[in-house]
Amino acid sequence: MEQLIKDLKLQIKEALNLEELSLEDFDADAPLFGDEGIGLDSIDVLEIIVLLEKEYGIRLANPQEGKAIFKSVRTIAEYVQANRKK
Amino acid sequence: MNIQVAGYGIICAIGNDASAVLESLKAGRTGIGPMHYLQSVHKELPVGEVKLSNADMLRMLGQDETTIISRTALMGAIAIRQALHHARLDTGGKRIVLINGTTVAGMDVTERFLRQMKEDDGLLPLLEKHDCGSSTRQMTDLAGLADAEVCTVSTACSSAVNAIILGSEMLKAGEADIVIAGGTEALSRFHLNGFNSLMILDKQLCRPFDKSRAGLNLGEGAAFVVLTRSLVKSEELRVKAYIHGYGNRCDAFHQTASSEDGEGAYLAMCDALQMAGLRPADIHYINAHGTGTPNNDASESAAIRRVFGQKIPPVSSTKGFTGHATSACGAIETVICILALQHQFLPVNLGWKEPDEACIRPYSNSKSFNSEFKDSSLRTVLCNSFGFGGNDSALVIGSLPRPLQRRGEQSECHKACTLAEDIVTDAEQLSELREFVAAGESRRMSRLMKAATLSSMRALRKAGLECPDAIITATAYGMLETSEKFLTDMLENGEEVLSPTLFMQSTHNTLSSAIAIRLKCHGYNMTYSQGSDSLRWALRDAKRLIATGKARTVLVGLHDEATPTLQNIFRRMGKPVPPRLYSRSIILGRSPAND
Repeated sequence: MEQLIKDLKLQIKEALNLEELSLEDFDADAPLFGDEGIGLDSIDVLEIIVLLEKEYGIRLANPQEGKAIFKSVRTIAEYVQANRKK
Repeated sequence: MNIQVAGYGIICAIGNDASAVLESLKAGRTGIGPMHYLQSVHKELPVGEVKLSNADMLRMLGQDETTIISRTALMGAIAIRQALHHARLDTGGKRIVLINGTTVAGMDVTERFLRQMKEDDGLLPLLEKHDCGSSTRQMTDLAGLADAEVCTVSTACSSAVNAIILGSEMLKAGEADIVIAGGTEALSRFHLNGFNSLMILDKQLCRPFDKSRAGLNLGEGAAFVVLTRSLVKSEELRVKAYIHGYGNRCDAFHQTASSEDGEGAYLAMCDALQMAGLRPADIHYINAHGTGTPNNDASESAAIRRVFGQKIPPVSSTKGFTGHATSACGAIETVICILALQHQFLPVNLGWKEPDEACIRPYSNSKSFNSEFKDSSLRTVLCNSFGFGGNDSALVIGSLPRPLQRRGEQSECHKACTLAEDIVTDAEQLSELREFVAAGESRRMSRLMKAATLSSMRALRKAGLECPDAIITATAYGMLETSEKFLTDMLENGEEVLSPTLFMQSTHNTLSSAIAIRLKCHGYNMTYSQGSDSLRWALRDAKRLIATGKARTVLVGLHDEATPTLQNIFRRMGKPVPPRLYSRSIILGRSPAND
């Protein structure tokens, strides 16, 4: 799980071009969306959906489904763990 | 001044000419169905295709059916020929301008042949017809108008309405005698996959304004109207409709989403009504943009409610018939509006069943309105057309002329002058962007977007201006680097997982609208894509805005980039190689000597 979280952090940082975010400061429990946390938006949701399909073979058909899954890196990791095809 | 529609032509999913389109509209018959002509793996997505192969269209145009010409140009040429035939105007000695709204242009050909072009020099000339400007020129020649001046406007899905607006302005300013304006757009794998990456395509038939709506169905087609100032007496009876008013505004909210209160749409509709000298109650029907996405329909409904209050006239989206023909939809729907006026009927909103609190209740088969007007009481209609980046436009179209010489119309005349200028040609300079844009904000910006933002912000600062009244962009290729990445990814890795960030920056109007979003500029917003003539068209427009008092300050930008692939192709063809990066921003204002 910890390795998966580490991988996801790196993949998200790269996919979303979050240059100024250091992996050390990237808290696995920090909220990804909204002003409080990392501050991602709806286009980032779509990019994360692309990432999950490319890297883990997970297909999310509806971005609305993603809301609960994309709360934090940890919630994404839990979802990937349970649903990954590769 | 009354702008007259002397004729029109149309080809779309519900018919290859106006009479076929009328018949389908009256019969409530959709043209959306399984994919037949487009070669995509996404067979699960219904589309509104024109029911002709490229060979069929080439034959109709008297061309050798093995010629490779973009479907965009073929459909456009067919619609232009129909429009000219319908108008039957004497064109001898007249200044004719053809204004086309398109974004896809030759992409359907490029995506088929790009890989082979890398080895086969013989195919390279096809790429010369890839960009909007060349595609428009080719289409115009095919239509038999080789002498016409041509211009392409590209504001994504509002392109065609903006073409009609520009045509009307040129006629009013006396810059042309006859304008043929409209738009054309073929389905391409490129934008089908792009819209798919944004997750806004419905796998079922679209249901605009319905509670269960889940996205749009893409369509294709072309439509053009022949516009004139006034006709000689013998031709007067041929007037089919009048363009009474129009508005072009920017929502200045988000690249791919509309604001909750529909500010841009609201302002565009208000401007159109004001120019027409009409009150909301004078509008008898609204042809909504109504794409069927949850976001568009709710936002447009909010804007309609703000303009019309409790008394909303019958509204329908005709995208359930045609699919969303993107850049061409505004012209297709303009012709549908004129057909409704001429034949006194309301097109229904196909697919609507269940009301949604967030949406207006559209005109459907519910018999809540009279579907036939026995006494010619359907006289004035509003046609909405909105594009990515919040490029929102609206037209007021009527069946009767308006009283001439209303107060204030065209009474101003100001000269324009350059207030400030800035140029970025070197990628090294882009680090200076940090002064204006935070790192988090620039993370999705392509190189050209960064350059355009930097030169715009610096020019504004030099002019001591926070926000201009209008923003106009000239670009031959738009953000070629991101478009090419998206295209290459699609061709090499298949149509399954593509990046929405790349796609949303591929439309030519992304530059103009992103700058508007940054500056929260809700004013006039326009993008020209006519090859090396683009800047000339943009400056002409800016000077017209200033001359007529519609804007006091205009930000005009010329932004283009060439990728190594493009440079290499130009080299192989022995043509001058375009620069890697070029971004020039000019602030135009009123000349003080003239005030």
